[in-house]
Amino acid sequence: MTEADVHTLTGPYVLDALPDDERTRFEAHLAECPFCTAEVAELREAAIKLATQVEEAPPLHLKTNVLKAIENVRQLPPVVAGTPDAVAARRYSRRSVFALAAAALVIAGAGGVAVDQYREKNAAVEVNRQMAAVLAQPDAKTSHGGITGGGQATVVRSARADAVVVVLHDLRKPPSGKVWQLWLMDASQKARSIGLTSGDLATVIQGGVVGQTTFGLTEEPRGGSPAPTTTPVAAIAL
Amino acid sequence: MSESTALPWPGNGSRPGVTDADLLARTAGGDTAAFSTLYDRISPWVYGLVRRVLRNPAQSEEVTQEVMIDIWRTASRFDAARGSAHSWILTIAHRRAVDRVRSEQAASDRTELVGARNAEVDYDEVSDTVTTRLEAEQVRRCLGTLTDLQRESITLAYYNGYTYLEVAHQLDAKLPTVKARMRDGLIRLRDCLGTTKGGTP
Repeated sequence: MTEADVHTLTGPYVLDALPDDERTRFEAHLAECPFCTAEVAELREAAIKLATQVEEAPPLHLKTNVLKAIENVRQLPPVVAGTPDAVAARRYSRRSVFALAAAALVIAGAGGVAVDQYREKNAAVEVNRQMAAVLAQPDAKTSHGGITGGGQATVVRSARADAVVVVLHDLRKPPSGKVWQLWLMDASQKARSIGLTSGDLATVIQGGVVGQTTFGLTEEPRGGSPAPTTTPVAAIAL
Repeated sequence: MSESTALPWPGNGSRPGVTDADLLARTAGGDTAAFSTLYDRISPWVYGLVRRVLRNPAQSEEVTQEVMIDIWRTASRFDAARGSAHSWILTIAHRRAVDRVRSEQAASDRTELVGARNAEVDYDEVSDTVTTRLEAEQVRRCLGTLTDLQRESITLAYYNGYTYLEVAHQLDAKLPTVKARMRDGLIRLRDCLGTTKGGTP
């Protein structure tokens, strides 16, 4: 099974839709994949809202039975803080890590992802490490937005790290001869180019982030433009 | 930019004061009164979900009781840094219900009980409190933003306890497609519900 395959299992796993053997294997993978763990936590928060559709009061006698039963049930002691397990879980507990993991794994899988500079797997690992460093900042703030014409953009900004993480997911192909250009804009609408892509992307921009207030994505001629020339398909306040 | 649409959700400001996470922490310390309050708050969600998956009322009672006892027994393992109290509780409930489905499956053909492709929720099943109405309607609205395949893949798995293999068979879709639709459907649902920013306690 490739990494990308494993990664798409977060959906079925959260829905308890994996057969027992696959569930066991995926849980073993989860223990080693903090990003997958974060994605599972996040998708779970959405999935459990489905329970709002089926609320139903249980029969009254059930409470009596339960309260009687617990008299005979010993409670588990707490997990002692500071164990490696507990520390790892806290470190990656920040929400919204999942989209980054998704993109990083897509890149690791490298199947037709048109981001040449990150095609090397060890480059992806390095991006992964840099993302984790930004996400671990106490001031890291995540913003999401849709992309006109399809796709999602997620931007994590940390002034402390002076860095942003940008993840573009399900981005459509630009028209022939065109490319997507990524921008950071300050309050005076002055745009600074931070890269070009023709498809899904996960990247870390280091430096020059303080004072930037908006992430933007525009369609530009191949090679990019010195300043945006089209209406942004995404503009996300940071 | 997607709007932030935080749901009113028990323990998430809709009841000021003690949160469900607080009640879980007190339960972990052996506080039966806290557990009793927690039971009152969450049992309609637990029972409703279990009942939806299992259908059979007697089995649903049994499993709900198992879930509540499990919550009592393992309350110390709840870690608010890893997710909300509701997520923790309903994850236990759903897992237990699905495990029961699977252990029963050899004995009976559940598709007869469930009804083919019957993934829609009967709205009469939803209780009438205002808060519940609001959040249930938002969930329903967000489900409406999914593609048919995303929505059916998710609801057949979540409400009917199907494996992705069963879902694929039911929907006549390829296995990798169903796995992917479950995931991207949940991502879309998450974005629509605005559950990303600041988890519920």
